[in-house]
Amino acid sequence: MTVRSLVTERHGNTRDRAERRLAGFMTAPSLILMALVAAVPIGYAIWLSLNQYSLLQVGLSRFVGLGNYVDALAGPDWWRAFGQTFLFAGTSVALEMVLGTGMAMLLNLTFRGRALLRTVVLVPYAIITVVSAITWQTMFDPTTGFVPQILAALHLPGAGVVWLGEQGYAMAVIVMADVWKTTPFAALIILAGLQSISQETYEAAELDGASRWKTFAHVTLPLLRPAIVLAAIFRTLDALRIFDLPFVLTHGANGTQSMSMLAYTQLNENRLVGQGSALSILTFITVMVVSAVYIRFGGGNIRDIAREDRS
Amino acid sequence: MRGRTVTGIVAAAGAIGLALSGCGSSTPPSAGPSAPVVDPASAKGASGSLSICGGRDSVGLYKGAVDAFMKANPGISAKYTVLGATTDESRTQAIQRLQAKSSECDMYLTDVTWTPEFASQGWLQDMTKVTDAVKDTLIPSTVATTQYKGKSWATPFYTNAGLIYYAKDKVAKPETWQQLYAEAAKSPDNGLVYQGKQYEGLTVNFLELLYSAGGNVIDDQGNIKIDSPETRKVLDFMAQGIKNGSADRAVLTYEENASRLAYESGKFGYERNWPNVYGQLNATPLKGTFGVAPLPSFDGNSNGSGVLGGWNLAISAYASNPAAAVAFVNFESTPEWQKHVAMDYSQAPAGEAAYSDPGVLDKMPFAKELLISVKGAKPRPVSPVYSQISAAINKNVYAVLSGTSNTEDAVKNMADQIKTAQASF
Repeated sequence: MTVRSLVTERHGNTRDRAERRLAGFMTAPSLILMALVAAVPIGYAIWLSLNQYSLLQVGLSRFVGLGNYVDALAGPDWWRAFGQTFLFAGTSVALEMVLGTGMAMLLNLTFRGRALLRTVVLVPYAIITVVSAITWQTMFDPTTGFVPQILAALHLPGAGVVWLGEQGYAMAVIVMADVWKTTPFAALIILAGLQSISQETYEAAELDGASRWKTFAHVTLPLLRPAIVLAAIFRTLDALRIFDLPFVLTHGANGTQSMSMLAYTQLNENRLVGQGSALSILTFITVMVVSAVYIRFGGGNIRDIAREDRS
Repeated sequence: MRGRTVTGIVAAAGAIGLALSGCGSSTPPSAGPSAPVVDPASAKGASGSLSICGGRDSVGLYKGAVDAFMKANPGISAKYTVLGATTDESRTQAIQRLQAKSSECDMYLTDVTWTPEFASQGWLQDMTKVTDAVKDTLIPSTVATTQYKGKSWATPFYTNAGLIYYAKDKVAKPETWQQLYAEAAKSPDNGLVYQGKQYEGLTVNFLELLYSAGGNVIDDQGNIKIDSPETRKVLDFMAQGIKNGSADRAVLTYEENASRLAYESGKFGYERNWPNVYGQLNATPLKGTFGVAPLPSFDGNSNGSGVLGGWNLAISAYASNPAAAVAFVNFESTPEWQKHVAMDYSQAPAGEAAYSDPGVLDKMPFAKELLISVKGAKPRPVSPVYSQISAAINKNVYAVLSGTSNTEDAVKNMADQIKTAQASF
């Protein structure tokens, strides 16, 4: 019996009404809190984005309607940042999912020190992004960094390149830094999914004579899909808001300007409150649309599988 | 049910996205009162507490000044509050407090470029009389950075100007930029490092050459002067320098610290950096191998002319104890304390006498060269929209240096973007 049918059956019952009122009272504090921390700031930001605030005469502002949005969407900056952010998010999340699945498979094996290793792999994720960004910058420094020196010693391509000063290469460093930091996070979520796959399924596959690769491709991967989609949702939403890595590594140069950095520059550096807020709202809408798409197309499976499990 | 869950999740995810993308954190500017005028006489008998706010105290100068001030003025209890780790962050924090009319900080340590900006917003008190009383002992170029619309809105605390560090065993002391670049191109070991990342530092590095070449960004009336033969000459010169190896291409990724570390590797002949690097270089094996020179001239036409950095002390329009703030200004601007700025903290004093003081020369043997750089330095463009002007400069200069744009387009873009910034409402 589902929750919905319970509710319908009891509808109109006085006891039920009292209970529902009680439920209303009990959820009210969290709903009010949600409204305060989410709805109010969002509403305020939307209001800011519809106005223009004077830089030259304090206190002067004027209502410009969607003017700030028109400016942003008509100019090249927003679309450039939009494209660069999606390039970053697409590449890094794809790599993180592949590497995260591999890492999860390894961590799922039985070996001595497994518990310790599962903790240790999380270290990159625990490091503050700005700190790891500075580390990556130091590693790739053309004079003092060890990466160009190793590349040169091994006669590999990219040896003479000023990585952070070159289109393409700069993005590569940012993707690497992000993959290094967040793959363990993806791996942990995928590992949890891996552990929920029952051993019997594997035994059945073995009885049917499935090879290791076939077992992986036809048993493990489909059953892991909800976990991978979940990890991908988290990572994509994070990646679309990328700020610290380009801020430290390139300050937005060489094709690494992100949507959040652009909004920050307008809001904080240039004090263009209306423009900056409009850019933040555009970032917000972008993230919202992407998560809706994920939940619509990836999330459906989460529900289907959960239903199958129950029945 | 399903629809609602989806909407809920989307809304929650979006809310997190929004909160983290920094929205809603800024308040629109609100009207300030017409600027109060500070009375120099109020410093006599000042007492109570004084709160000074500013950036990270990297060399201990701010806390040192506050401690020495309290020793000399036992009636006042002063404290220094760090607003942020970086200059940008401190500025944001200061602006948030000023917009909220907070009385938390009586006095702000302002970068020389913020002084006109803050004054234009009505956030500062008119310090003309206070500054006039002490300005005879200060270097005129530093006093100029406190001016906006004919009044003084701050008093210089210490100053800053670029210098050239050069490897004495490999290259000669540079007289002109042309000579420096030519010498630097002779051997891979002679190269120049400077701050060429796309940020405020590149604006400064570019303006040093532009000012030396006789160019300008905007004039005193705000007319745009960047579209000039001088700008084109300097851009071509710098881009050519990266192409032929006079300046290592790595400078495109360098801020101050990275360029210092690069020079410390011993693989370069010249480094453009600030005076505080002297002490750091002296702590490396390079001690004794390098010389310090004022910024060279361009073409040898005129003297080298740098860009004035440094920090001013401004009194907040919402200060609760402006009298104690005046007492602090009177203390820090004395020739005696200005000597300590150089001797104890290796910063460039705003007081001129300090540069010839034997104690200072002992700790800072390049004081003579530094004074030449400071005296010849010009302020950055004075404008309430300076940060947009600076972004217009460093983005377009960067595009030329990295080879993604050409001089002609860059000059046009700079002029257009500065015009747009000035048209800010």
